[in-house]
Amino acid sequence: MKHILSQHLGKRSSLIPFLQDIQKEFGYLSTKAIDELSRSTDISANEIYGVATFYTQFRFSPPGEHTVRVCQGTACHVRRGRQILNEVEQQLKIKAGQTTEDRKFDLERVACLGCCALAPVVVVDDKVHARMTAKKISSVLSQYKGRQTRKK
Amino acid sequence: MKLTIDRKAVTAKKDETVLQCALRHDISIPHLCTHSHLSPFGACRLCVVEIEDMPGYPTSCTTPAAEAMVVRTDTAALQNLRRNILALMMLEHPSACLICGRRDLCEEYRPVAEKAGRTTGCHTCNNKNVCEVRTLAEELGFCDLPIPPSYHHRPVDRSNPFIDRDLNLCILCGRCVRICKHQHGTATIDFVDRSSKTHISQAFDRSLLDAGCRFCGSCVDVCPTGTLADRYAKWYPKPDTITKSTCIFCEQACALKLEANKGELVTARAVNEDIPICVLGRFAIPEFLNSTDRLRMPYVRVGKVLRETQWKEALKTTAAKLKEFIGDGFMLVCDTTSTLEDRFVFKKFTRKVMKSKNYIEIEPNYRGISLSSLPKGTKAVLLTGKFVPSSQLNGLELLIVQDCFGTNVSQRADVVLPAAIFAEVNGTILDGSGQKRPLHKACDPPGQAKAEWWIISKLAQAMGAKGFAYRSAGAISKELGISKAKLWVKRDQAPEAAQDLERRRTFFRGHRICEKVFALRELPIRDSSVPSRAVSKRTDGFQILEKYEIAPNVHEIVIQAPNVAKKAQPGQFVIVMVDEKSERVPFTLCDWDAEKGTITLIVLEVGQSSRKLVLLEAGDRIDHMVGPLGIPLEIKQYGTVVLTGGCYGIGAILRIAAALREAGNHVIVIVEGRSHYKHYYKEKLETVCDELIQTTIDGSLGIRGHAVDVVGQKLKDGEKIDCVVAVGCLFMMMLTTRETKPYGVKTLVALNPIMLDGTGMCGACRVTVDKEMKFACVDGPFFDAHLVDWDELRDRRVAYSAEEIHLVGRTESVAPYPGHGDNCRCLR
Repeated sequence: MKHILSQHLGKRSSLIPFLQDIQKEFGYLSTKAIDELSRSTDISANEIYGVATFYTQFRFSPPGEHTVRVCQGTACHVRRGRQILNEVEQQLKIKAGQTTEDRKFDLERVACLGCCALAPVVVVDDKVHARMTAKKISSVLSQYKGRQTRKK
Repeated sequence: MKLTIDRKAVTAKKDETVLQCALRHDISIPHLCTHSHLSPFGACRLCVVEIEDMPGYPTSCTTPAAEAMVVRTDTAALQNLRRNILALMMLEHPSACLICGRRDLCEEYRPVAEKAGRTTGCHTCNNKNVCEVRTLAEELGFCDLPIPPSYHHRPVDRSNPFIDRDLNLCILCGRCVRICKHQHGTATIDFVDRSSKTHISQAFDRSLLDAGCRFCGSCVDVCPTGTLADRYAKWYPKPDTITKSTCIFCEQACALKLEANKGELVTARAVNEDIPICVLGRFAIPEFLNSTDRLRMPYVRVGKVLRETQWKEALKTTAAKLKEFIGDGFMLVCDTTSTLEDRFVFKKFTRKVMKSKNYIEIEPNYRGISLSSLPKGTKAVLLTGKFVPSSQLNGLELLIVQDCFGTNVSQRADVVLPAAIFAEVNGTILDGSGQKRPLHKACDPPGQAKAEWWIISKLAQAMGAKGFAYRSAGAISKELGISKAKLWVKRDQAPEAAQDLERRRTFFRGHRICEKVFALRELPIRDSSVPSRAVSKRTDGFQILEKYEIAPNVHEIVIQAPNVAKKAQPGQFVIVMVDEKSERVPFTLCDWDAEKGTITLIVLEVGQSSRKLVLLEAGDRIDHMVGPLGIPLEIKQYGTVVLTGGCYGIGAILRIAAALREAGNHVIVIVEGRSHYKHYYKEKLETVCDELIQTTIDGSLGIRGHAVDVVGQKLKDGEKIDCVVAVGCLFMMMLTTRETKPYGVKTLVALNPIMLDGTGMCGACRVTVDKEMKFACVDGPFFDAHLVDWDELRDRRVAYSAEEIHLVGRTESVAPYPGHGDNCRCLR
């Protein structure tokens, strides 16, 4: 943390680089990290939080082991991306934006992943799973259930 | 700079914006997010104007005035644009009252806003009298919403001691965030989750206190809506006097704007809105001065008891007693929170009349009691505060206490004289730097309390002394040669207590401030470890099985009460006491299940007692309940029956409708709500009636208007209606009565007066029906509406409104901070 705080000059204007570095290091923005950042920048924790909540890239709870991104972009939407998301939500018993209780999976809904030809698309960590169906989803998820890959 | 605004040639000052320039020349441009103490923000877009050679509609608050500019502020296109902008804002603000067809009648019939836990319209909004949004809507001729409004159902934040925050009313003008930044450098609150869900909050949803709020109250003062409210002052009527005076809680002597209603202090604010004042100055003064602990009458000791008496007798007795102690055995102790005028009279009295040199003037001790003991040889003492521990008063022959609060010291006194203080007196005090600052009387002292100079002067006169015939504090100032003092308005920085909550004063003349101002007890003592409050689970009483807020401010509560459920009949009610010390409140039995032994109540949160009830959760218990009470509605064959319900009445007519339908009636149920989100029980009601009609004032659901409009239309159309039963607020029932009277349709109303015992003993629920006195609890609740004296009923219902306002302002409902024991900082 100290290392990060010493990196940027200009304090107020480099708030977002600060936040990005913290998230990169710890995986999320903890209350402790924000309070510490607040002390060293003289910006109240409330203001920092106000800025951070604007960006979807910042998260405030520890990430799960695997990130499941379900595309809801135009092409995926037309090919029933919503149904896929519903199915994933049901199987993981969480809503988009949440983390499973066992911290195995994060679920995110994204607007477009840039591979519309493969729609509907689900991306787990960095692997793209193309032409997804509600039936295929459980086998995709089970691939990751046992695996222990701590991602950065 | 010369420019033209609306064909009027005006001159702009340097750095002035178009809006500032226009306002200075009495040209009004609607605006909302702009505030005179804040830099331009351009959030609300209401101040749009047309400027020649500028594209589009620039906001006048962010456009600097320039040479030769030609500005138009009131074209039809602009007004239309503004109306649309306001309409968009009103989509997320309870706005039905603004477009209500019965607004005039409502204002006339209920001029003061009614208390409610959640505000869902102007009629239950604490900001009603001073609302900037309302004023704007009136100016712009706001009339309709393009699409149904939404309600976010955000919980009302009462997690801090002083400020209620109902984000469902927020229009995101950002004034609160900006004033916080402006005054404290970095903000305690900010916009969070910026998106369609943007709202004002603190980091990680911490409470205001944990987020570092110092409670200067500036955010409350700048809020244009009812979103932020001072919990104590919230439901007081609009202030009728505003007086500038000086705070005497500490030597910072902040200049205050004191607002009073009918002689009672309601709020204190900073005169200089650029510099924050401390939590005591902003939030504590009214509750401190209006405390029930204030001394209101003089008391004289007769044997072992202190007997209440009148001034004349008190002065006579005191004078006679004092005459025996002339000389150095007498001592007068005061502190410098008494005015210079008071202290001049004290000194003169001690020296000239009592011929004693023991006039002791102490510096205020903000942390506790000032003197540990009295000098030896003291026989008689006059104290103007609790300066000495009561244990040190044993050897005295005469003790006179002239104070504002009763204490264990005044309990031992021979004479107790009630003193007016602070905002109740005129005079001059010295601030920390030795400058004179004025006190101006802003409110009336409690009972017969009098200014301190008055008391001592009268005492001197009663002892036959000359030179004490003062008629006002001003006359003493003249004798003293005090020139006119000036308020300390222009200062460089905020007083220390406004920067750090923990440096607030905790004592005033030996009285612990938090004992008088309940909310201060919730401010934590951060430097002591505090055990968590033990919550005792009770096992007696009536258990709450389920509780939901089914519509904003409407709570459905299911309670285990087998004996009530067994005997309940349609239209009956129960009386509930939430805890041992609660008020007894009647609630209509909305539903019951004899087999399961449960009853269902619909509760509106409108005051202290209902708040206590809705704060309970499933699993908690209610202390007492009596019921079923009242005469059930006569269920027989009427023919076509129209049942109308509003607010809690929507639930209350459920079983009545079912019973009437079973008896072979054609049942039409008409329920009303301000907006679509105020409706509930649609499915349940559909099963118990032949026709269900929903109405909303803003037209967002069903028919636009009130339930009574539908009844009126049906009657006008010549539909056959044999009986109308109305259950809801007084206004709604009265409207129904007015509508059905010309047609001579039998109309029954369930009256809801204040009720106490519910068995016809106390008479609190007295109503006049057909010029006869009836008790709503045993003769009602149903009465023939056309025979009810509505005006009397309305007047009787507001009989205790002043007391209710006092109670709701006190924050007992918020769990008090557990640490105020011996560890309390206030004790140090």
